[in-house]
Amino acid sequence: MSNKLNTLSLSATALTLALTSALSLVTLPAHAADDMEKCFGVAMKGKNDCAAGAGTTCAGTSKVNDQANVFKLVPKGTCEKTASSTSPTGYGQLMAFKPKM
Amino acid sequence: MSTQQRFTQALLSAEQTFPAGLFCHPDAESRFAVYRNNVFSSLTSALADSYPVVAQLVGAEFFAFMARVFIQTFPPCSPVLVNYGNAFADFIDTFSPAASLPYLADMARLERLRVEAYHAADFPGVGFEALSRFLEYPEQLHSLHLKLHPGTGVLCSSRAVFSLWAAHQGQGELAEVDPNHAEHLLVLRDALNVEVLLLSKACALFIQALQGGAGFGDAVCAALEEDNAFDAGPALALLIQKNLIIHAGLSEAS
Repeated sequence: MSNKLNTLSLSATALTLALTSALSLVTLPAHAADDMEKCFGVAMKGKNDCAAGAGTTCAGTSKVNDQANVFKLVPKGTCEKTASSTSPTGYGQLMAFKPKM
Repeated sequence: MSTQQRFTQALLSAEQTFPAGLFCHPDAESRFAVYRNNVFSSLTSALADSYPVVAQLVGAEFFAFMARVFIQTFPPCSPVLVNYGNAFADFIDTFSPAASLPYLADMARLERLRVEAYHAADFPGVGFEALSRFLEYPEQLHSLHLKLHPGTGVLCSSRAVFSLWAAHQGQGELAEVDPNHAEHLLVLRDALNVEVLLLSKACALFIQALQGGAGFGDAVCAALEEDNAFDAGPALALLIQKNLIIHAGLSEAS
């Protein structure tokens, strides 16, 4: 019963208003793949993205945290600000690197 | 009983039995024990990888014990290891040694949704323009059908599983969580990132209704029945923003 009442009282105007307000709230475009960069040395063990190079085959296969030859896609510009325990610079790098000892 | 059935039975048996007539090598029994150990250890690791917070909540020893009983009861029926354990949450519900942690099964459900979201197929979201076109048909918005990304999951829990999960990700203090507080959450994948978001109950019902194939109007009604102040605008905006709407049409998507 209450369902029917609600259905009746829910006017086309109310739904239009909801859709309009939803569309007006969507402002920032979500991260598209081309807003991302490959960041080496920052992926948690097993959380790398695809094509990780020698020793791993694909996404989710890295063996250690911050493995130097596997990448994770991160928003552009953030990679070299992300801390990495293996990187000689202390931060993620845009290319695979030799891990510090 | 076939050789294969005898082998399976011996492998999963709690008594550590050995299948008769398997192999005439004198050391076959200890070799079979090694094989059994590898089976249980690899499946236990797979479960621990899929359910890291469940494992942390109960500790490694209890988890291994619970996993052993689960593996004996529900051996894998697919070679795809990532799918293994989708019955784990329902199993935990019936596993009496875990009864003192009433939120454990829902935590397993949350972690399952994350695994499923992570591995769900890619679908592009319906764009802003495509959705704004429906504003030209206000009379038909009631039956606007929005199909959601297959990696999208809603969980309504009578326990504070979101806060408990977040506390294990370093967000919030575990000691401050009241586990008996009901929480509703959304698991989604945006590009390559799996996210877990806290929802109001009305918003959870709205998204669940859409997932169940309800039209926009009926989904809003379902939410309004829970909370008559429900505002569909922000709820819908979230779905658009996260690219979760993969098809929109005025009849049910095929």
